[in-house]
Amino acid sequence: MSILNSITNSRIWRSFFRHGWPDNPLDRSLIMTTNVFFHLHPVKVNLKSIRAAYSLGLGILTVAAFISLALTGTMLMFNYVPSVERAFPDIVALQNSVPFGQLFRNLHRWGAHLMVLTCVLHMARVFYTGAYKPPREFNWVVGVVLLILTLGASFTGYLLPWDQLAYWAITVGTSIASYEPMMGALIKKILLGGPEVGQASLTRFYGLHIMVIPAILLLLISLHMWRVRKDGGLAANDLDAAPLEDGQK
Amino acid sequence: MSTENTTPTKKISRRDFLGISWAALVGLLGAETAGVLFRYIQPINTGGFGGIVNAGKVDDFKRGSITQNQAGRFYLVRLEDGSFLALWQKCTHLGCSVPWVDAENQFHCPCHGSLYNQMGEVQGGPAPRPLDFFPVTIKDGEVFVDTGNPTQRSKFEPGQTTKA
Amino acid sequence: MAEQSPQQEAFPKGSVKTYNLVEVVRGRTNMIEKGPDNTIFSFPVVAILELLITLGMSAVLVLFSLVKNAPLEDLANPLVTTDPAKAPWYFMGLQEMLEHAHPLVSGIILPGVMVLFVMAIPYLDNSRIGSGQWFTSPRGKKITLWTAIYTLIIMPAYIVLDNLFPPRELLRGIVPDFVAQSLIPVVILGIIVLLPLVLLMRSKPNAREVMLVLFTVLFVSAVVFTLSGFLFRGPGFKLYWPWDMPNGYNPLNNL
Ligand code: HEM
Ligand code: FES
Repeated sequence: MSILNSITNSRIWRSFFRHGWPDNPLDRSLIMTTNVFFHLHPVKVNLKSIRAAYSLGLGILTVAAFISLALTGTMLMFNYVPSVERAFPDIVALQNSVPFGQLFRNLHRWGAHLMVLTCVLHMARVFYTGAYKPPREFNWVVGVVLLILTLGASFTGYLLPWDQLAYWAITVGTSIASYEPMMGALIKKILLGGPEVGQASLTRFYGLHIMVIPAILLLLISLHMWRVRKDGGLAANDLDAAPLEDGQK
Repeated sequence: MSTENTTPTKKISRRDFLGISWAALVGLLGAETAGVLFRYIQPINTGGFGGIVNAGKVDDFKRGSITQNQAGRFYLVRLEDGSFLALWQKCTHLGCSVPWVDAENQFHCPCHGSLYNQMGEVQGGPAPRPLDFFPVTIKDGEVFVDTGNPTQRSKFEPGQTTKA
Repeated sequence: MAEQSPQQEAFPKGSVKTYNLVEVVRGRTNMIEKGPDNTIFSFPVVAILELLITLGMSAVLVLFSLVKNAPLEDLANPLVTTDPAKAPWYFMGLQEMLEHAHPLVSGIILPGVMVLFVMAIPYLDNSRIGSGQWFTSPRGKKITLWTAIYTLIIMPAYIVLDNLFPPRELLRGIVPDFVAQSLIPVVILGIIVLLPLVLLMRSKPNAREVMLVLFTVLFVSAVVFTLSGFLFRGPGFKLYWPWDMPNGYNPLNNL
């Protein structure tokens, strides 16, 4: 193993990874604190909080769906032009001529539905386990915003195939928004870029769908998971906690 | 500037004043940026639907007739008194395209069954208000419809029509 | 916190933070048989669990994608509306609501109130008791169950009855539209939502139990409305059995 050792002992390797092989408490702590991806997790977790029956894994499932959507979505972008003339034929070509095109489209579509579903169920799980209570109020509010953004991401993506299903779903959906008495008509006009669903709407929805909403989602998901750690891990930890000094009921 | 150093009216210290000024400037910058962005995302209209559509010659439309203009997304109604009313084909309920059904002598929305009469007034269904209309102008015997400006209304009034 | 034992001082339990990397010393960990001993290192257990969940989800997605293709209809045509015209499934609850009240009420006000209520939950119920425990108590579980059953019965009944005897059409021209399309639906829905709460109030509930009732009524209603709009609405947005739709319409094609 001397080659391996000389690699992991090299200055380059050591400058990338500032911890040893994580088979001992020190390195298992360091891997969490020195790695930007792992540092969203606490160094240690309560056994209760990783029981499947507690969290049902729904938050992680939502994250997994999000990552999968980002990947498959990028694949779709390589074969799609968001124009009224090209969008629909591009999707048809994607399905019929592009190798695995249909598969990627399916993955992206069903993944989107899955993410909405797991996100809603995750919210219900958090509510019914009482995990919104202090000190997790803020994370609950972040969660509600995440749910709205998830719906927004799915909704904006719905228009992109530019078929009858897409066109009328978005027409009906944006019409609902226009009933808001003060800003409704304006919001609808800005979203659609005109009085009805057309090229301007497709351009705008595309921009929102591939850039604006995913970027905000990525940021807020990171904030959300970091907050879980900052609030003392999952609420299941609290069951071990001593009675609270402020003696709430 | 006063040389007295114990003016009773002087409440804000120099440090606070500068701090507040900076905050105000940053706030102003933010507001300007928001304003620019807001203007930037306003839709622009270029021809076709959303612009001014030439619907044809006045004399081409019989009194009491209803003509669909596909490009302009409207129905040009010529009332018995000879005046014109341009109705947006979009259902005021949830935006479906409403076809004129000759057999029923009314507009009948396929989505949730809203019914409208010739003037676009609601006769049944969930639609909350009459069909929106576009301003019509008549110049040199031709009918122009401004499809960029759909107007909402709560009931039909003669003022919404344009005399030929 | 009252002085209890030396361990309690060294490692005050609570959800704040139970550990901190201050210094590393050689020797046996001083956590042994002291303080919160119910914890394990996140690495690698949590990392492996997360990987497993991700892999499992990917496998299910790939399998499903091989079996069922994403729908694609004809090219969009602004002149011809599909019948029915439906929003994506997660907005079908909203669209179903729109059948029962004026759009301002059912499309904006009620959903807006719902979102605000959901956001406000932690501030309306800020007791910490039972945090991290399903339904908080056996009583909470019973309350949730009965509220869910109640909603599962009364909301479908409301949808069907309101569809058979719509105040909008029955009262058209008799009372102002505002009464028929806004006031009456809001009063009926308000009574439906608040009734279980009124019943609960007699047994002096705590804030958590009030939230359990309200959230359950709203959540189950949202599910019922979504299913009704998505599965049971056919051409003309009329109610049909999902397997008995006219014109060969299949609601599942709207996914
Ligand atoms: C994009 C959507 C979302 C993602 C990716 C996400 C992700 C996560 C993850 C990974 C966790 C760790 C626990 C678990 O796996 O269940 C978590 C916990 C939590 N989430 Fe979310 N979440 C989302 C939406 C929401 C929503 C809609 C809410 C509520 C309105 C919410 C509120 C919370 C709270 C309060 C916790 C702490 C739970 C506890 O301590 O037991 N999240 N979230
Ligand atoms: S969109 Fe016309 S009745 Fe609903």
